[in-house]
Amino acid sequence: MTELKHYFAPTSLDQAVECLKDGDVTILAGGTDLTPQSQAGRVKIKHTLMNIRHIPQLTGITLEGREIHIGALATITEIMEHPLVRQHLPVLVEACDHFASDQIRNAGTIGGNICNASPAGDTLIPLLVLDASVELASMPEAKLYRHTMPLSTFFVGPGKTRKSLCELVTGVRIPLPEQGHVARFFKLGTRPALDISTISIGVAGTLRDGVLSNARVAFGAVAPTPTRAAQTEQALEGQRLDAATIEKVAAIARDEVKPIDDVRATAWYRKEMIHNITKRILSHVAQA
Amino acid sequence: MNVAEKKARVIEPDSLIGKRIPKMDAPEKASGRTRYIHDINLSGQLYGKILRSARIHALIKSIDVSAARALPGVHVVITAADIPDQRPIGVAKDHFPLKVGRVRSQRDEIAAVAAESEEIAEAALKLIKVEYEDLPVISNPEDAIKPGAALIHPEPHGADGSHLHLKQGMSIAHKGKPDNIAMRFDYVHGDVVQGEAESDVVVEDTFKLHYVTHCCMGVSGMIAEFDASGNVLMYSNTQVPFLHKREFAEYLNIDPARIRIIQPPIGGGFGSKLDIYPFEVICLYLARAAKRPVKMLFTREEEFLASPTRQPVLLTLRSGCKKDGTLTFRQVHTLHDNGAYTSWGATTPFVMMQTFSSLYRVPHCDYHTAAVYTNNPYAGSFRGYGNLQATFAIEQHMDMLAEKIGMDPLEFRLKNAQDAGEVTGQGMSFKSCGFKDCITTAAKRSDYARKARENAANRDKPGNIKRGIGMASMLHVGGGAKIYPSDGCGTILKMDDFANVTLITGASEIGQGSETVLSQLVCEELGLPISAVTVVNNDTAITPWDVGVHASRTTFIAGNSAIGAAKKAKSKILAVAAKKYGTAEDELDLRGGFVIQAASGEVVVELSKLLRNLHFQDKAELVMTTFYYEPPSVHQDKGFKGDVSAAYAWGSQVVEVEVDTDTGIVRMTKVTGAHDVGRVLNRLGIEGQIEGGVVMGQGYALTEDLLIQNGVMKNPNFRDYKLVTAPEIPEMDIAFIESMDGEGPQGAKGVGEAPSICIAAATANAIANATGVRMFELPFTPEKVYRALHGQTPKLYWKPWKAE
Repeated sequence: MTELKHYFAPTSLDQAVECLKDGDVTILAGGTDLTPQSQAGRVKIKHTLMNIRHIPQLTGITLEGREIHIGALATITEIMEHPLVRQHLPVLVEACDHFASDQIRNAGTIGGNICNASPAGDTLIPLLVLDASVELASMPEAKLYRHTMPLSTFFVGPGKTRKSLCELVTGVRIPLPEQGHVARFFKLGTRPALDISTISIGVAGTLRDGVLSNARVAFGAVAPTPTRAAQTEQALEGQRLDAATIEKVAAIARDEVKPIDDVRATAWYRKEMIHNITKRILSHVAQA
Repeated sequence: MNVAEKKARVIEPDSLIGKRIPKMDAPEKASGRTRYIHDINLSGQLYGKILRSARIHALIKSIDVSAARALPGVHVVITAADIPDQRPIGVAKDHFPLKVGRVRSQRDEIAAVAAESEEIAEAALKLIKVEYEDLPVISNPEDAIKPGAALIHPEPHGADGSHLHLKQGMSIAHKGKPDNIAMRFDYVHGDVVQGEAESDVVVEDTFKLHYVTHCCMGVSGMIAEFDASGNVLMYSNTQVPFLHKREFAEYLNIDPARIRIIQPPIGGGFGSKLDIYPFEVICLYLARAAKRPVKMLFTREEEFLASPTRQPVLLTLRSGCKKDGTLTFRQVHTLHDNGAYTSWGATTPFVMMQTFSSLYRVPHCDYHTAAVYTNNPYAGSFRGYGNLQATFAIEQHMDMLAEKIGMDPLEFRLKNAQDAGEVTGQGMSFKSCGFKDCITTAAKRSDYARKARENAANRDKPGNIKRGIGMASMLHVGGGAKIYPSDGCGTILKMDDFANVTLITGASEIGQGSETVLSQLVCEELGLPISAVTVVNNDTAITPWDVGVHASRTTFIAGNSAIGAAKKAKSKILAVAAKKYGTAEDELDLRGGFVIQAASGEVVVELSKLLRNLHFQDKAELVMTTFYYEPPSVHQDKGFKGDVSAAYAWGSQVVEVEVDTDTGIVRMTKVTGAHDVGRVLNRLGIEGQIEGGVVMGQGYALTEDLLIQNGVMKNPNFRDYKLVTAPEIPEMDIAFIESMDGEGPQGAKGVGEAPSICIAAATANAIANATGVRMFELPFTPEKVYRALHGQTPKLYWKPWKAE
């Protein structure tokens, strides 16, 4: 059931954030998560359903200084096909390529994937290892207020983020990777399409003369949120990726994650996969 | 008129048999024009919804529907108390559509609403208050057969606690059951003790087969309407309209003649629509009470929760052979988890025992099944009907026995495979039999022997990807199955003044392509193009009787019936032509829309012209014929022996896999199949049938798993119930063995179920070939395979159980 009384389709960001002021609003973008979740009764549509798809400020993928800006409404397909993303952020393209199915990729947006805050969200792992920040807008007084927050601090639980009810995610900002940047993503599921990850892994860093620095490691579906792995990153930082190091880091990764048993896999299998796939990815990075 | 024009036109011989003919319903379906039950709406129609149990096993203490009844837009709310004449339904008549006093599973129906919209009906369900008193949940059949186990259908007691002495002949729903055994099957031929004594090698293993469900793209639904005289019209997706007409009449306590069933185009059956389910009877109750048409459509979640499953089975098989490779015996005990109620799943032993007794020569066979009540979902009929489960066990043992005696597994299979003319211990008579051809063809085309050898040699080489190849074969009825008093099908055929044919057949189309094949067979007799045929096949008030779409029977039975009617039409036409043109009937034939001279192909007369002449004359006549075909098969005797099918289909499939030892992911890379189909009628249709069946088998083997924990379904959705998707479908190489069955229509045998039967068994053999590890429990999900590869799977063993 729903309390839905109003439908609102703002055409500007100001209108949208003004509407959010009373907090009793459900935001609709691609609808690929909202529709099944509301039909299954897991999400209740609030007093106002606000369709943000007509807000031009939320669209587009652009280079702004040393950052790539992806508007919240960019669909997974747009991201996957965009030349800027393909050139600078191939790891994000890789994740998009494993995202659900063509139909869902055509409708689903990156803003939606972030706000849905699934521990298994496919774009979230590459965004985490790319040091992405979330851009938020609100209207505390009569004026538009915008700020950013590192994605790594954005998630607080399954479906829960630090975004307040009055805020709208307007996009993500990703620093341009520097020379020697390497990044890898791997999604493990039972089938290549239309699957929720059993686990996913992202690894990034700067590889110079065989040594990895600025190491970033993120894991999906092993915790209540997509999460950076501090101990694994620390173990990797400044290391030469030889077989012994890779084995050591993979073991640390396995011990660092605290997954649960669910219908997709047991915790034991997830830990095994974190180990095996971390090892596989690091071996690939070492050969890069 | 010059001489050249006088020369008679010659029609060259042509045949439709074996051609690639697009399905007649394909353009409508592909363009989205087909009107499924979802698209049918009757004026004045209400929407029905069912309240299901909030508990798995509980007594119903009270139901309060007052608030639901008071909701504006609600017409009718019913519970068992409102239907005093409820009769028990199901194969064992062990439950009421609306549950009385007790719920036994998650799906159980407690109340139902008919309202002016689906939303109002949903809202009304939420207003119904039910009080329960929980009972212990039995979710494991092994627990259900333990002495002292709580009973799922206890015998009723009087108020003073005494046993009520109920009449013999009453149903289980009324008189209960003193134990949890729903059904027993015990079969024997030969003497397994002797068989074992003669064996040089014996293997025994326990196999565990899981829950899967049909996942028809079209969810279940029905529209029911009572007319002013009390006649019932049902729009139903049933696969067996004539049997159900009789059964629904019983549940409504009316004359079967007053029930008419129309089948809209059906969005998938696969056996799921062979039984009557509570929702259908409830929809009728609602329509009767509301005096309005009532439409009921499942949501996808409901389709998972309240549809039948494939029969889950725990099975211990003991088999033996001699050193020279001769099979000696098979001893089988199975425990079927019957779920809370009995549907066709409980009767899968009928098919399973055929496979155990007769797939390869088995001199001694001993087979026992107990189907046991639990609080789990109940199993129905599903493409293959127990044969996937039986073949999974047998074909793994074929590899294991061959390995034990050091014989090539191919040679071992060929040594024990039957030839045409053999009769098995169960009395199945193989009049046509391409079994050995299937084995050798599939092996040769897949290069089985070389790959198997190389894969085994490469097993311990470095790298996480291991390749494997495995084979399995199957035997299944291919000429109907004599289970009901008749296994026949009727045809009415009429021709119009333009030589168009209306084929009125009892055989239902459920997507399998029967319309097209039947039209082809008729056109082959009458020398007409497929476009000349209109098929009418979906209305019990019009079509002649047919037992239903099951047992891979439609092409064989309905095909022979259609040929019978077409032959009668042809003979009438030729008699008329012979008389009119002063020649003998056997000198004429029909070809390309003409009556021709059989020997030369010279045109005698255009067929449509002849038919008009026949019609518009003093002694006017039309060409209208009927035919009823009953196959020459027999019922089984009390020991389950007898030649139940007029023909038997064979097939061998070779599966190739890549196993990732880092993750346990099994990728199916190629399937090579060789199927004895008697004869290919519609090549395009049969390829589609086989490809679809392979994918269904692939899902059963690798990904599909309906998770039931303590009676609760954990994944009633396509997110977590994983059907195979397009990128995973393997390359396929399908070959047909044409054994030209003497009784089959144009030599054909049924093949509907065949292609899904071997895949899981062959996959198990392929994984063993790749890794050296045997898997006894389906499905082969990444985690299960990974555990097995890392020694984390305890050896499965179920001690054969046989109640005295």
